Amino acid sequence: MAHSSVVIEARNLAKQYSINAAVVSALRGVDLRIDRGEYLAILGPSGSGKSTMLQLLGGLDHPSSGTVRLLGTDLADLNDRELTRFRLTTIGFVFQRFHLLPVLTAVENVELPMAEAGRPRGQRLARARELLGYVGLASRAQHRATELSGGEMQRVAIARALANEPALILADEPTGELDQATGGQILELFDRLHRDGATIVVVTHDEHLAARAGRQVRMLDGRIDSDTHG
Amino acid sequence: MYLSPVIRTFSLLIQLVAQSGGDPRSPGIAVEARLAGRWGISVGDTIAIAAEAAGPAQQRVVEAIYRGRADPATALRGELAVRFHLADLANLLGAPDRVDRIGVAVRPGIGPDSAAARINQIGFGFRAYPSATIASESSQTFLVVSRFHQAIGFIAIVASAVFLLCIMLLKVEERRLDAAVMRMIGLARRTVFLAFLLEATLLASVGAALGAALAYLATVLTNLFYQRKFETTLVFAHLTPDIVLLAAALSLVLGIGAGALAAARLLGATPLALWRRA
Repeated sequence: MAHSSVVIEARNLAKQYSINAAVVSALRGVDLRIDRGEYLAILGPSGSGKSTMLQLLGGLDHPSSGTVRLLGTDLADLNDRELTRFRLTTIGFVFQRFHLLPVLTAVENVELPMAEAGRPRGQRLARARELLGYVGLASRAQHRATELSGGEMQRVAIARALANEPALILADEPTGELDQATGGQILELFDRLHRDGATIVVVTHDEHLAARAGRQVRMLDGRIDSDTHG
Repeated sequence: MYLSPVIRTFSLLIQLVAQSGGDPRSPGIAVEARLAGRWGISVGDTIAIAAEAAGPAQQRVVEAIYRGRADPATALRGELAVRFHLADLANLLGAPDRVDRIGVAVRPGIGPDSAAARINQIGFGFRAYPSATIASESSQTFLVVSRFHQAIGFIAIVASAVFLLCIMLLKVEERRLDAAVMRMIGLARRTVFLAFLLEATLLASVGAALGAALAYLATVLTNLFYQRKFETTLVFAHLTPDIVLLAAALSLVLGIGAGALAAARLLGATPLALWRRA
């Protein structure tokens, strides 16, 4: 039974890929526990396994061995449909390239996960507007995604990630496509999310971003090289 | 009564002699509207007519200008017609026995078949046919052309179906990243499939409507062009509700089917596989 403060717990996590008959180990027996309210940055050079780690923690891929428990649920016990639903209600994803649906407006993009979750239209519209206000984009609610700047798109993407009040926010290089000033605004937004109690895991190359996180996990060759707080 | 159309057998030379006020005692003729329009002939004008270039001309007064019935068999030949009283025509040609075709109108209620049978019973030296029989015999060419058009239509439908399938596959492939993101953030496979299906339905519906509008415009332009070119009221292209319904149904079935096939193919992959291939 998982401790009540534990959001995610990975044990002996390993992942191998077969590439042209060769087996490549992306993760080699990683243990990681993330508590509620933690702001954690996963750092490491390319090929260190940090993206694979994020995919496994997010239930996007299955480990070759080991377990991932999210809010006490072993992700391996869920079938595809259940896992999809679990991602919808429990995890908020923020991508490097924002990946908003271009045909939808900002508010519709934020509404989308809530519509899938079956929330009534009035409720989800109110929540979407509230979230857009939270990320400072209330005035851009009716603009299509293509009419927004990179920073604005990433803020809408963060609002979308928060839509179903997830237990965990997973962000993959959230400032990677932004200039320094705009990236700084996104980092401030993550800081605010953290202060408001969100559990955040960010995969990044950005040392500035990592420095703002309360905990830094450095990966090397598919293993955790260091795990520091502060 | 005027009888027609002997003129197809004989070339006539005609010349406008006087505008109105001709000799009222000369036999009257009826001039086809196209000819009258082209030469500026009006009712009451007198024209000189000769059966041959070197032959003696005779004057006739234009008693009527008529618009001939549109006939696909003759429309493209560009022939112009003048109608004579039968006796006058025979007199003009000097060879009454050379009249090779006479059109006879029957009164309402009298069947063309029985009228033709009766004429054949009592007539001598010629044979009567109901107009439907003649139309059927003369329209064999059109039947062949019509079947040729059907074959072209069938090939066009097959080709457009393949084209549509390819377009839909490409359009859905273009949405691979969107599909990956939607699946990653927790949208069910069914939801994404339905979204793509809805998009395919909208595309097919808009395509069908645009296609019908384009076809209508094409028929209008085709008719305008050929009716003007051949000075006829014949309809050269006809867009019927049946054709529109068939085309719309085909477009929807093919479009939705192709969209569903492409979406199902795409969504067979895991979100991460979609993401990596995007």
